[in-house]
Amino acid sequence: MQRLAEIEVPADELAAARAGDPAARSALFTRVAPGTLAIIRRLVRHAAMADDLLQDTLIAMFEHLGDFRGEAPFGVWVRSIAVSRCLMSFRSPWHRARVALESWTEDTRAATESDGRTSDLIDLDRALAKLSPVTRAVVWLYDVEGWSHDEIAQAFERTPSFSKSQLARGHARLRTELRAPMTAALSIPIGSEFDGH
Amino acid sequence: MDTEVNDVELVARLRRLDAGSAETAPGYDYQGMLSRREAREVRARRRSVLARSAALGLVVALVGASIWRLDVDERQIVRGDPAPAPVHEAEPRIVRADTYLAVAALEDHIASIDDALNVARAYSPRGEEVARLERTRAELLDSYAQVRYAELVSANF
Repeated sequence: MQRLAEIEVPADELAAARAGDPAARSALFTRVAPGTLAIIRRLVRHAAMADDLLQDTLIAMFEHLGDFRGEAPFGVWVRSIAVSRCLMSFRSPWHRARVALESWTEDTRAATESDGRTSDLIDLDRALAKLSPVTRAVVWLYDVEGWSHDEIAQAFERTPSFSKSQLARGHARLRTELRAPMTAALSIPIGSEFDGH
Repeated sequence: MDTEVNDVELVARLRRLDAGSAETAPGYDYQGMLSRREAREVRARRRSVLARSAALGLVVALVGASIWRLDVDERQIVRGDPAPAPVHEAEPRIVRADTYLAVAALEDHIASIDDALNVARAYSPRGEEVARLERTRAELLDSYAQVRYAELVSANF
């Protein structure tokens, strides 16, 4: 699967989409939706919530197509909208209540959706699911998406030390989970949304 | 897995996990997205109307109750009934569920408008969308202030 940050859009397709051409907009949707959903699902593991956030992200993308200046790949721009939407949802009390209520369901789903991957990746996916949403987002954005601590701090409206401490905490938790996957499978996510620096 | 997993290995594994993820197609296409958006807007409008109606109803009920109580006091004075000495005991404050729900609904709505405003301002600080959201926020704040005032009035009875 092509990573969202690597997706480029031909200038003519972009111009047509900006002009409101439904076919071009539909093609743009098809081009970016899977990659956008993939990163949203990494940050927000609840499927229905991820679908809603994908919709919010893509609607914002279409509404602000005129603001895209082409300084970075189109996918990078869409990714910043998606991440911003996900972080906004983390701040919602509804989201926190949902995470607390549905943590067990998420664990189950993470395990069943991992079919076809090697066991270490299945363990890692399961361990990721056990992190709090904020810690998971920081780990994913820093380690996989290549964001800097400053960029993460800006996105979370916090300090770079917040990002560093969340990353260290996330790594420590992942290491613990990967050392003892069977016992860890019974635990619940730890850490509140924005606790500690 | 008994071996210590260091950070470098962990990052490598995370990247392999990302690379090995199967492509997930969204549950709807472009047209589906537009339909979902429309349905959500209808729901949001309905919720907004409900919240405003609840706030308005509450204000009317409280004002009505205030007038009725004033009327009863005046009639007692006209009849010359010896008015019982007012007893100011410490009573538990009763918060009506409908008041609480109206306030909570308004606060939620204002918070969602704030979020939308943040996003809209990030894209175009002087855009039409920002102006529209600011108007909506001001209206909601008016309703919120009315409900809070009504609550204050009821608490003094």
